[in-house]
Amino acid sequence: MSVLEVAGEGRAAAAMRARRRRRQFAGNAVWYVVLTAFAVVTVFPFLWMLLSSLKGLSDPIASVPPQLIPGHPTLDNYSRVLASLPILTFFQNSIVVAILVTGLNVLVSAMAAYPLAKMRFRGRDAIFYLLLATLIVPAQLTYIPSFILAVNVFHYYDSLPAVILPGLASAFNIFLMRQAFRGVPNDLIDAARVDGAGEWRVWWQILLPIVRPSMAAVAIFTFVTSWNDFLWPSLMLHSRDGMTLPVGLAALQGFFSSDFRAIAAGVTMTVIPILLFFIVVQRYFVRGLAGAVKG
Amino acid sequence: MSRRFRATPYLFLFPAVALIGVFVVYPIVAVIYYSFTDYDIVRPPVWIGVGNYVQVFADKTFWLALTHSIVYLLVTPTLILLSIGLAIVVNRKLRGIHIYRALYFVPAVSGSIAIGLSWRFLFDRTGLINSVLQSLGIIHEPIQWLSTPSLVLPIAMLLTIWAGIGYYSVIFLAGLQNIPEELYDAARIDGCNDLQKHWHVSLPGLRPQIVFVGVISSLAALKVFDEIYVLTNKTGGVLDSGVTMVFYLWRQAFQLQHAGYAAAIAIVLLAITLVFSMVNVRLLERQDADR
Repeated sequence: MSVLEVAGEGRAAAAMRARRRRRQFAGNAVWYVVLTAFAVVTVFPFLWMLLSSLKGLSDPIASVPPQLIPGHPTLDNYSRVLASLPILTFFQNSIVVAILVTGLNVLVSAMAAYPLAKMRFRGRDAIFYLLLATLIVPAQLTYIPSFILAVNVFHYYDSLPAVILPGLASAFNIFLMRQAFRGVPNDLIDAARVDGAGEWRVWWQILLPIVRPSMAAVAIFTFVTSWNDFLWPSLMLHSRDGMTLPVGLAALQGFFSSDFRAIAAGVTMTVIPILLFFIVVQRYFVRGLAGAVKG
Repeated sequence: MSRRFRATPYLFLFPAVALIGVFVVYPIVAVIYYSFTDYDIVRPPVWIGVGNYVQVFADKTFWLALTHSIVYLLVTPTLILLSIGLAIVVNRKLRGIHIYRALYFVPAVSGSIAIGLSWRFLFDRTGLINSVLQSLGIIHEPIQWLSTPSLVLPIAMLLTIWAGIGYYSVIFLAGLQNIPEELYDAARIDGCNDLQKHWHVSLPGLRPQIVFVGVISSLAALKVFDEIYVLTNKTGGVLDSGVTMVFYLWRQAFQLQHAGYAAAIAIVLLAITLVFSMVNVRLLERQDADR
């Protein structure tokens, strides 16, 4: 093969590579258009809320043709909302509820999961299947008796414990933690037992550190679910300073009825904190969601 | 392992079992009892036998709510199809794909009340949907989206689907990433095009995720409440056009104080959920047997 021929072949190969790259780029461009279009559909309602919340009375909410960007941006709507409803208190309440529910729920679930995963004792399977069975029952079914318990027995109606206590145990979390514990080799636990560690120490010092990633995922799930929970808290929390964010937001709808600018400001204020939280913990959340369903 | 009784496992289980006992098991037993009583929460319940059930089955609104809840189940197959489609798209190794995946997840964490409110105003008579359609000349008069009985439920379902796609597609994405690349290579060698490849390899490979999402999203659809509550501003819509089982349960129990009657509705809902779960489990077993 002469030098010329090799060079020619090289040129041809380079041309082919370039063509392939161009075609790949064109192919990718199509995917980017699809991805971006769907991203716009997904994020647009939030963006529209944000933009509308910055509109003053001189900027129409809906006109033909629509005007999205506020001509004279203002924070008036925010101060109006903050003046009439204690959004910051709602926020504090939500933080207290979500943190206590998450911390205690994960602790209680991890405790219950240990014997179910790693010990043999009478009634283990019965307890496990009973817990599983409660997963099927829609939570809303339990609200009538729980309401009566809250008023007549626990006397915590219209206070934060009313939304914290019922959130402390979840069969689903017990199930997930049991799955995580089952992945820990028995040898490790037996070795610790031989060394004289009691069951509580085995649980606290060996098991919990190993399953920390699963625990983080369960915790994030629980936090977001608790943060966004609406129906039960709306039945329990009625005083102005005692509401969580979703309950307060629904009250805002009643308060400002069709004052869209104010409601948009309220929605924006409640969505931003949980979005920031999501951005920070995103990696664990997605991994946990993926790990929950194994093939 | 010694045969003598050890308290330790029970001590570990105690807090969880006690809490679930008080807040799940006891209420289920109690709600069964209330369903046979005339009860308004204030005065003590009075036993009336099957009276509530007779009334429930003769109640037109109950049947309407049941129909709506069953129609709502259509979100499940739609969600499965769209989420798998999205998962296949975001499974490509494209620059910046992580940002897209995160964006698609936003509705799932934002909370149903917040997204419900934003949708309520999108579909308001003076909302953005109308102003866009008018600007494009598609309609001349604004449409009363949420005051039109036939549109309330479809809009709520669209909202559920829109909010769920990103969430469920993450589950499918994880499933796709577990499918060995060789299977796709083999399909390509056998002459499959892209679409056939996903039909013959991705779908069977995603079976556990399809079952999981099917169960989770249909149970969620059977108990939909928040979306209806916000979109219809607590009313359930004109002519009860948006009333679902749980919404009707809520209205009877906590708006009208008919706790006994609501308990009977709750038991019917429980029965439907149980039958539904059993069918799901059966289907699952049959598919396993087929393989």
